[in-house]
Amino acid sequence: MTELSQAQRTWRNPLFAWDSAQEVEQLPTASYVSHQEIWERTRSSRTELFKVGRLRYYHKWAGHGQSTWRRSRYWPTRRRVLRIRGEYNDKSLRREKTIVDKRPIWWVVGLMVLALVPLITPERLENTLLTAGVTFGIYAAINLCWMLVIGTASIFSLATYAIVGTAAFMTAYASTMFGLPWWLLPPLGAIIGLIFGGIIALPATRLDGFYYALLTLGLNELCRVYFVTSKEFGSATGGLYGAATYLPQDWSSTGQLQLAYYACFTLMLLALLLYRFINGRQLGRILRIAPEKREAFAEATGVDFRQARVRVFLISSVGLGFIGGFYSANYGGVAFSIFSFDTVLLGLAMLVIGGIGRAEGAVVGTLIVVFFDKVLITLGPIRLIIIGLIMLFVVLYLRNGLFGIKQQFRTWRDKKKSERRSTRAEKGGEMLPEEATEARNPDDVYRRRYDKMQREFLKKLVTPEVINEHRRAPQGQHSESLERLLIYFRNQPQPDKYAISALQSTNGYRIVALSGHRGVAPRVVEDKIYRSPVEAYHGVFLRRVQDLLES
Amino acid sequence: MTKPKLFGYSDKLSVKPGDLLQFYVNAEGADRVEARLVRLIHGDQHPSGPGFMEEEIDCEANGTWRVEKQVTQLGSFLEVADPARHLALEKSLTVFAFICPTRPQAGWCQSLISRWDNKEGCGFFLGISEAGRLEFTVGQGAKIDRLEAGVPLQANSWYFVAASFDGSTGQASLFQEGVLNRYNSLLSRVALVEHHARAAGRLQARQKNLAGTPFLIGGARDWQNDRGQFVSQLYCGKIDRPGLFDRALSGEELDQIRSGQKLSSHGMVAYWDTAAGYTENGIGDIVTDAGPFQLHAEGRNRPVRGQTGWNWSGRNDCFRLAPQEYGGIEFHADALTDCNWKVTKAVKLPETLRSGAYAFRLRAGEGTGLGEEYIPFFVRPKTPKSAIAFLFPTASYIAYANERQSFEAPVTQPVTGMPAVLSEIDIELAGRSDLGLSACDHWADGQGVCYSSYRRPIVNLRPKYRSSSANLAWQFPADLSVIAWLEHQNYEYEILTDEDLEREGVSALEPYTCIISGTHPEYYSERMLDATEDYIASGGRYIYLGGNGFHWSVAFRTNEPWVMECRKFGPAWKTWDARPGEYYMATNGQKGGAWRAQGRPAQKVVGVGFISEGYGKSQFYRRMPDSYHRTVSWLTKGIDGEIIGDFGLAYGGAAGVGLDRCDPALGTPPHTKLIASSGGHTDSYLVNPEVIHYAFEGLSGSYDYRVRADMAYFTAPHHGAVFSAGSVAFGQALPVNNFDNNVSRLLANVVDAFVRPGALPGSWWISEEKQWR
Repeated sequence: MTELSQAQRTWRNPLFAWDSAQEVEQLPTASYVSHQEIWERTRSSRTELFKVGRLRYYHKWAGHGQSTWRRSRYWPTRRRVLRIRGEYNDKSLRREKTIVDKRPIWWVVGLMVLALVPLITPERLENTLLTAGVTFGIYAAINLCWMLVIGTASIFSLATYAIVGTAAFMTAYASTMFGLPWWLLPPLGAIIGLIFGGIIALPATRLDGFYYALLTLGLNELCRVYFVTSKEFGSATGGLYGAATYLPQDWSSTGQLQLAYYACFTLMLLALLLYRFINGRQLGRILRIAPEKREAFAEATGVDFRQARVRVFLISSVGLGFIGGFYSANYGGVAFSIFSFDTVLLGLAMLVIGGIGRAEGAVVGTLIVVFFDKVLITLGPIRLIIIGLIMLFVVLYLRNGLFGIKQQFRTWRDKKKSERRSTRAEKGGEMLPEEATEARNPDDVYRRRYDKMQREFLKKLVTPEVINEHRRAPQGQHSESLERLLIYFRNQPQPDKYAISALQSTNGYRIVALSGHRGVAPRVVEDKIYRSPVEAYHGVFLRRVQDLLES
Repeated sequence: MTKPKLFGYSDKLSVKPGDLLQFYVNAEGADRVEARLVRLIHGDQHPSGPGFMEEEIDCEANGTWRVEKQVTQLGSFLEVADPARHLALEKSLTVFAFICPTRPQAGWCQSLISRWDNKEGCGFFLGISEAGRLEFTVGQGAKIDRLEAGVPLQANSWYFVAASFDGSTGQASLFQEGVLNRYNSLLSRVALVEHHARAAGRLQARQKNLAGTPFLIGGARDWQNDRGQFVSQLYCGKIDRPGLFDRALSGEELDQIRSGQKLSSHGMVAYWDTAAGYTENGIGDIVTDAGPFQLHAEGRNRPVRGQTGWNWSGRNDCFRLAPQEYGGIEFHADALTDCNWKVTKAVKLPETLRSGAYAFRLRAGEGTGLGEEYIPFFVRPKTPKSAIAFLFPTASYIAYANERQSFEAPVTQPVTGMPAVLSEIDIELAGRSDLGLSACDHWADGQGVCYSSYRRPIVNLRPKYRSSSANLAWQFPADLSVIAWLEHQNYEYEILTDEDLEREGVSALEPYTCIISGTHPEYYSERMLDATEDYIASGGRYIYLGGNGFHWSVAFRTNEPWVMECRKFGPAWKTWDARPGEYYMATNGQKGGAWRAQGRPAQKVVGVGFISEGYGKSQFYRRMPDSYHRTVSWLTKGIDGEIIGDFGLAYGGAAGVGLDRCDPALGTPPHTKLIASSGGHTDSYLVNPEVIHYAFEGLSGSYDYRVRADMAYFTAPHHGAVFSAGSVAFGQALPVNNFDNNVSRLLANVVDAFVRPGALPGSWWISEEKQWR
C-alpha cells in the first residue's frame, strides 16, 4: 500500500483558512464513489430464495382465556399430570399450549391395551397369547429392574438373572421343603435378593464397566453350574418343581391363565412404579448428573455417586429377588434355563432394542422380543435370527434404541440444515428466508443487508491515500472518504468493538476489544504496544480496515 | 384583460348525498362564475401519470353563480356585549390589565382594552402606540387627547398596566410595572431593563361614548368605505385578567392589584377573570366577568386560551393543574379561524351522488384569462355498502392549509434541498395576507400557529396543486392518486374523512372490512387514533398507505370540526416550538406534541413509525427474507424479481419523502413480517431526532442503517390485519405506466385479500419451522 493509487483527487481542508498552522491545506484522497451505486446495482439475491413456512395441519389447544387453568398432580408426587408449555405462536401471536411430554398419554393407552388383551383375544390364540403375556409381564418386570442397574446406576451388571434364579430356586426349595405358602415366596425372594445383591455390589464399587460385566457374567455361570449340579435343586429333573402356587387348582386352565396374566401384568406395574420412584426421584436425579465417564465432575461438585449407585443396585436386587419369588409362585417352581446364557442375551436384546435408560424402552423391547420368541413360535429357530437382525440393526443405525429415533432424527436434520445453509449463505451476507424465521428482531435482518451493502461500498474507499491521511492525523478534520470509513467503524455494535487500554507500567497503549456485556472485561487482541495514543488510534484503524477488507 | 381571482370555501368538508352545503366565494375581477359539480379522480399532473382527471356531474346548482368581493376580518380579540352600556363610563375610570406584548412595535397602534371608534375618534382605550409605548387615549370626535409612557414596552415581558382618569379634572395617569419572575418572561433580572414607568397629565378631551361602539379587548372598532365596520388596532400578545373601574384608582390601589391581591369591589364595573371556567376537557371562547354585571367577553377568531399568565411559577405545565397561573389569553393580529363571508350559494347535493371526493369547479373569464377555483368536499355514502373505504386525512389537510413555508421559513430550502418552485397560485398566496395560516407557519409576532381551519379558501387543498417547497403533489392531490387507482382497478369503494372519525369514532370504520389511509395522515386526534386502534384490534383490516403518519397529537371541538388545534414541542422535527408550559391544548385539555412522546408511537398501531424525511430523490424497495414466508408470500404474488417501486410521481421511487420503520423497541408487534425495505437514501434524509438522544456525525441516509422505508404486515385479533407501506411516496407510484406496475400489483394483492371475509391467506402456515435448509 505504499504507492499511491492511480485515480486520485485532491481534498481541500475547509478548516485551513481558520488554522493554517495546525491544519493541512490539501491532501490527495480517493476518487469519489457513490454510496448509492451498490444499492442501485443489487437487484436480486445471489442465491435462489425459497419459500419457507410450515402448514398447521394439526390441532393445537388455545390458551385458557379468562378461565383459570387448574393443574392437577399425580398423587402423592409433585408431578403434573401432563407437562404443558404455554406459549405465543411466533407467527400469529395466538396463545397456544404444547404438551411437552406426551409419554404419559402413550403409557395410559399402551397399558390399557395390555389390560384388555385377555378380553379381546380370539379363543384360538388365547393359549399362545396369554402364555406369552405371562412371560412378557415377568420379563418386563425383570428388565425394568435391570434398566435401573444399567441405565440409572450405570452399572453393567449381567448378574440379573443370577439373582432372579437364585431367589426362585431358594424360595421354591423353601416351599417344597418347609411348605411355605405362596404369598411368602416373593418376600422371601426379596430378602434373598438383598443378600445376593449385597454380595455382588461389593466389587461394583471397585470395577469399571467391561470388567464388571465379565465378572457378573461369570457369576451367572457359576450359579448355573451350582444349581445344575446340586441334587437338592433337582439336578435330575432339570429344575425344582412343586412349590406352592397362587393359581387355584380347581380353576379351568383358561381361568388360571387369565389370572396368571393379570398377576404378571400387576407385577410389571409394580416394577414400573419402582422404576419411576427410583429413576424419577432423588436417587435418579443424583445419578443423572453423574453419567458414566463423567463421574469426576459429579464428585467434584460433592455428589456421592458411588453410594447412590450401590443403593440403586441393592434396591433393584430386592426387586429382582421379589420377582424370583413370584416366579416360583407363578410356575410352581423354576427351571435351570433361567441361568442359561441365551436368557441373558435375550434380555440384553430387549434392553438394547428399546433403548437404555428408559422405562418404555425396557417394556417395548421386551414386548418385541417376547413376541418373536413366544408368539411366533411356529417360525422355529429362524425367529432367533430375526431377533438378532433387529438387534444388529438397532446397534448399527440407532444411537439409543427405538426410543432414541426421534432425537437422532432431529440431530440429523440439523446437520443437513447447517450443511445446506453453509453452501447457500454468504459470510456477512444477507439473511436467507430460512434464517430470517429464526431472527427475533426485524431490525437485525435489515442490518445484515445494510452492513453487506455498506461494507462493499466502503471497501472501495480504502486507498493508500486515505490510510496515509489517517496516519498523519487520526483526529481532526478529514476528507470525505476517511470520515465515511471512520463513521462506519464507530457505529459498530459494542461486542468486539476496538478500544485502547493505557498501560501504566510500560507507559504504552495496547488494542483491546470490548465484550459488550456488563461484568465482562475487554480482551486483549494483540501484544503490540504502541508508544502514543495517536499510534494506537492508527493501529485500531488499520485493524478495522483489515477486518473490512477481509469481510 | 386581467385574470379574475376566485377563492371559495364550503361550510362542511364531509357530507352525505342530499345534504345542504353552503358555498362562500370571493371574486375579484368577475361578478359571475360558471359553477360545475365535478368528481375528482386524479390530481397530480406529473407527466409519468395519467394527468388531471375529473368527471362532471349533473346538479341543480350547476350554472352561473352571482359572486362578489368579500372581506375577511383577521385577528383575534374579545368582544363584550354590553346592551345596558355599563362599560360606557362617562366620567372617571380606571382600566387595567396584565399584558405580555409579543410585538410592541408592530407598526400600528394596538388597542388593549377599548371602547373606541377609530373612524369617529370617540371613546377611550388603553393601548400600545406605534412606537411601542403604553398609551391612554380619550376622544370626543373633534378633540382627541392621549397620554403616553416614557419607554417602549419590551417584547415577551409581563407587565401590569393601567390608566386612571379623573373625569372632573381631566387628570390622567399611566401606571406600568414589570411583573417578571424567574419563569414568565423572555429576560431575567440579570438584564438591566427598567420595566417601571409612570406618566401623568391633564387631558384636554373627555370621552364621548357613541352608542354603537363595541367594548373590545385586543382591538378597536373601525370603518372603511369598501368594507364597512371592522376591527382594527389589533393587538399581538397576551392579556391576563383585565378590568375596569368607574373611578380613578390611586397608585397604592393599583399596586395592590399588581401584586395579585383581591380587588376592591368599590367602583368595580368589570373584571374579567380569564382563568375562570377552565375544565379538565378544555376551555371555551367565553371569558367570565367576575364583576357586578357579569359582562362576559366572547372570543373571535379563537384567541389562544390557557396560556401561561403573569404569575406562572414554572412549577406546573398545564392549565389543568394550576388554572390561576394560566390566565393568559394570547391574541394575534393575523389569526383566522372563519372568514365569515356571505353565503354565495346554498347547494342541496343530489341524492344519487356516489361516495367520493367532489368539488365545485368555478370558472370565470376565458382563454388565457380564465380564472379557476375548485372548492372540494367529501361525500360519504348515506349507508355504507362497500367493503373498502378510503380515509381522506382531512385533519392533516387542515394542518397544512395555505402553508407559506417556501416564503417565510429559512429552513425550507435546507430541508428540501431545492429552490421553491412557485406556481401562479403560490405567488398569489404570497401576496395576500387574508387567507390565514397553517399549523406549520408563524404568526407575524413569531409565535407558532396553533389553530388552523377549513372555513377559508385553502389553495393547497385543491386538485392539481403542487407543493412549492418540495415540487411534488402533497396531501390531497397526492391522495387522489390512490382514488384514481381504486377507480382504475374497478374496486367498489367509499370514502371517509378524519372528520367522520373524530365525530363518530370507531363506528365510522366498522362497516368496512378494509380501510385505506391517505399518503400522509400526520395529524391525529386522540379519538381518531383510538378509533383506528380499536378498529384493527376488533378485526378490521387497515392499509396504512403512507409515511410519517399518526405523528402529531391534535384536537377538535365537537361542535367546531373546522378548527384544529395543535401544539408543537419536544424532540420531533417541528416548524415551531411552543413556549414552555404551553404544551396542552386549550380545545380539550390534552397534551399536544408528538404521539410518541405520549407513549403512543405509530408502531404500536400500524407496525411502522416515522424515521426519516427527505426530498429530491426516492428509492425503491427490495424484498426482505420475511417475504418468502408462506404466511405473507401471497403479498408479492405476481411480482417478478425482488425490486418493488423503482418509479413514481414522487421523485421517481416508491420509498421516499417520509419514511417509516419497524422498531420493536417502539411497539412494533413481535410477529410483524418485513415484506420489503428501501435503502441507500441520500443524505437529504436525516434520522428523526425523536429516536436519537445524541447527535453525531453520520445521522443521514448514506450513513445510518435506520434510514429506510419498511413495508410491513401483521395479523391482528379476530382475522384483522395491517399492511403498512412505510413511505409517503408509495401511493404516488401507483399511477405509473397506467397503473400497470408492481406497486399496483402488490396493493391489489393486499386489497383483494383484505376484502375477502374469514381467514386471511397464509394464516395456516403458522407452525414452528422444521428447517431442512
